[in-house]
Amino acid sequence: MSGSQTLDLTGVVCPLNWVKAKLALEQLDPGDELILLLDPGEPIDSVPRSALEDGHSVRVEGTSVTIVKGG
Amino acid sequence: MTLSDRDLERYSRQLVLPEWSGAAQARLKEASVMVVGAGALGSPVLAYLVGAGVGRIGVVDEDTVELSNLPRQPLHFTPDAGANKAESAMAKLSLMNPDVIVEPYPARLGRMNAEAMLMGADLVVDCSDSFATRYTVNDTCCGLGVPLVEGGVLGFDGLVMAIRPGESACYRCAFPVEPQEGSVPSCREAGVLGPVAGIVGSMQALEALKLLTNAVLPLLDRFVQIDARTLEQTIVSTGMRPDCEACARVPAATQSL
Repeated sequence: MSGSQTLDLTGVVCPLNWVKAKLALEQLDPGDELILLLDPGEPIDSVPRSALEDGHSVRVEGTSVTIVKGG
Repeated sequence: MTLSDRDLERYSRQLVLPEWSGAAQARLKEASVMVVGAGALGSPVLAYLVGAGVGRIGVVDEDTVELSNLPRQPLHFTPDAGANKAESAMAKLSLMNPDVIVEPYPARLGRMNAEAMLMGADLVVDCSDSFATRYTVNDTCCGLGVPLVEGGVLGFDGLVMAIRPGESACYRCAFPVEPQEGSVPSCREAGVLGPVAGIVGSMQALEALKLLTNAVLPLLDRFVQIDARTLEQTIVSTGMRPDCEACARVPAATQSL
């Protein structure tokens, strides 16, 4: 099942924001999208990098990050 | 089993590990572990398993805290002298992580009661201080099909081994000849430095987390020998012995072969 889900992680600090994103990704199928709303600064700098390192595709637009689950 | 926001915060530094996952953390939360001995090895094992979020932990120890235990048994404090070790450990562990259920068993594990005590556990960690108990725990875990982490310290020498009964070598496969009582000096006679037990206990806790979560492959069909004088570690390969009397007791359902 392909789908898209949005997770508002504004106000959630590092690394808890990535923990929440990672657990949400665990529930998705490869190819599914997860859209994250992040705070500027450390979160937008580090969360997309963590997602890339875990093998997902990542697109950053401002403070919104679209992750396509790899597999 | 779902993880609460509190869980995510408490366990965030392990959850961010690429090898770890929400599923691994949930497996820990559902797990029931028996730790035999709350002394020098048991202290780090219990602290790390409780810290990591294992759901339920039983602590077996009939001994009382003595002044001479304190340099190497950091779960026990000076005012605990005279208290039962399982009870003393529980008091500290429930402060460390109130979300973990810790059950003290102030009793001696022996041939007669081992099966009743260890039955139902998902994993056993042997932190006992005698060869007799070690073989009893090994044989009982084989009979029950329960994974086991063995560990031991003698002076500056340590040993750690992970065991999945029916799938990998057990302690008796690796060491088929049981030392006669008195032929090997006990810890009390041989002496031990606290950090040596700390290294071995920490490795046991690590192997326990691997066996419980499958996040990383445990040290199966091998054991590690540690020489704390030089910090040299030797990984020794071993394997299941077809004539092992303990492995012969493994229930058919848990055998993968």
